[in-house]
Amino acid sequence: MKIKILLGAIVGIAAISVAHWKLNGTPRYMPGSPSTSTPASGEVRAEFTVGFLPVTCHLTCPVTSWVSEHSTSGTKFKAQRFTDFPSMKEALIARKIDATFMNAPLAIKLVMDGVPCKIVHLGHRDGTALMVKTDGPIQKFEDLRGKVVAIPGRFSNQNIFLHKMMRELGMPFDSMTIKELPPPEHPSALAAGAIDAYIIGEPHAAKAELDGYGRVLLQMRDAWPNFISCVLVVRQELIDERRPLVTELVNGIAASGEWLDEDRDRGAQHRHDAAIVAGKLFYNQKPELLDFLLTKDVTRVSYTNLKPLQKDFNEIVGLAVELQILPRQIAFEEYIDDSFSPDLATVDVPFDRLPDVEKVAAQ
Amino acid sequence: MSLAPIAATAGAVLLIVVARKLRDPLPKFLLPLATAILFLCFWQFAAEQAQYEVKQPDGTKRLVEIFPTPWSTLVGMQKPIMDGTLLRYAIASIYRVAIGFSLAVLIGIPVGLLAGWYLRGFQAINPLIQAMRPISPIAWIPVAVLWFGVKDSSAIFLITLSSFFPIVTGTMTAVQTIPLVYVRSAKNYGLGGFGLFRYVVFPACLPQIITSLRIALGIAWLVIVAAEMIAVDSGLGYLIMDARNANYYDRVVGAMITIGLIGIGLDFVMRRLELLDDVRWGFPKVNS
Repeated sequence: MKIKILLGAIVGIAAISVAHWKLNGTPRYMPGSPSTSTPASGEVRAEFTVGFLPVTCHLTCPVTSWVSEHSTSGTKFKAQRFTDFPSMKEALIARKIDATFMNAPLAIKLVMDGVPCKIVHLGHRDGTALMVKTDGPIQKFEDLRGKVVAIPGRFSNQNIFLHKMMRELGMPFDSMTIKELPPPEHPSALAAGAIDAYIIGEPHAAKAELDGYGRVLLQMRDAWPNFISCVLVVRQELIDERRPLVTELVNGIAASGEWLDEDRDRGAQHRHDAAIVAGKLFYNQKPELLDFLLTKDVTRVSYTNLKPLQKDFNEIVGLAVELQILPRQIAFEEYIDDSFSPDLATVDVPFDRLPDVEKVAAQ
Repeated sequence: MSLAPIAATAGAVLLIVVARKLRDPLPKFLLPLATAILFLCFWQFAAEQAQYEVKQPDGTKRLVEIFPTPWSTLVGMQKPIMDGTLLRYAIASIYRVAIGFSLAVLIGIPVGLLAGWYLRGFQAINPLIQAMRPISPIAWIPVAVLWFGVKDSSAIFLITLSSFFPIVTGTMTAVQTIPLVYVRSAKNYGLGGFGLFRYVVFPACLPQIITSLRIALGIAWLVIVAAEMIAVDSGLGYLIMDARNANYYDRVVGAMITIGLIGIGLDFVMRRLELLDDVRWGFPKVNS
């Protein structure tokens, strides 16, 4: 009897292990791939893992990954989805991923803390909104006095922006209660009345707008033009030892950004494609939500002009130090290596429609 | 509040009143059914209370549902059920729990037996175990990512860790509370060393060990959401995190229910162990 139970347990564990390996062992998101992406020569392509969160600030990551997975040459860029910034940061520290998108102040803090990595490119421009209740009384920034406002994290440019605005409008920094909330919680907290406003990257802002209970109070595009939220961070050893690979990644990200913005004034077909592929396969979000925010107002988020500029970062670091988010000033060259960022004129966009987009749309 | 939940609540209360007086085994099935109906009605009521209308800029009104109702949960779960995602994720979670729990058993029982038997061993490791036992698995997430990366092994590590402590503590206590008369009698018959462990200590502890295994398996399953918060890309905990990220709250609730149902199944399997001849003496005969 005891032997039977032991054998039963062993067989059961073996069966569940095999089932798990069969069902979940390989990524299952590639219609027409990866068999088509294997070169006829049988040459093994290098792989490079890039972390991302399912937010539009990181949209160039899935686009680059999708294109590279469907290509027959070059490096395969694997997009590793995370659900929060801390896990991404730890995976980077532990060298479990090669690069990742993350909030700019968080990336600078990492460098200050001695983590060997650098910012090599920006993720996007703009793409953040300050949201309030549709039928609420808040009509301008000053009305947030005494209200509860959610931010994604202390080391975020959204936090810095709120303080920058308060300073410009002569409001004391304690004139509103700022709460840190995980980004996905922002829309539901507003809907439930737990907060009065929130400031967050897309699509979490558009979610409240699309569902009818949220209204845009400020678009970053208007309030802080060329706003930077997330940046691409690469491990220092890869920058030092595998420059061609990092160059290929940054070129891919830049090309994806250029592609996303290329036809945005002419129907934005590229953004429709990205909403389908990223929404269905990488973000697991309703493509309609991504489509709404990417194409309804095409200037809401921008993916060009992504070379890191010293004047932008000097402003961010200056404010962050003043707010004691960062402990000290840091030289631009210490945390940024802009030598990989190509000039837009030289970026080659080797595709028009995303591969297999119709197949994905039909899924 | 709509009429259907009110009617269902009345029906459930009536069912409880009637079922109490029926002969076994009917109450055993009808009473939990009535409780489940009451729970669903309460859920429906709470979800309806959380709904509200918002006036749109164009003057129209829009109903905002901030928490899914039982029906919208069922509708929302249709896709993951039909396309096999739910099954795939359930298998992934069961796999992680099975491996993690098995490792905890393989390490925890021998450690507990030895620490329970040898006083010096107990004195050496008990403070460390008791200090580490109350640390939440969520606190271990950074350590898991740093050591094991973002693969299955991180989640398995967290599950092993959380189920190890109840097993080792339960086993230690079981050994320490063996009636002295068992040990003395065995020694009088010449048993000692491994034989004493094999034929007296271990069987005498087994009922308590099985109870601690049952508790540990419950904890292992409880930890699955925290364990799958790390960047694995499958599992019921992952489904919750991912659906939360994508604002699919119906799927969040659907995954919670699935976790609960599988938990019942796992507990049922563990309870069958209590019926084994070797340990049945150690359990009360009620509720078997």
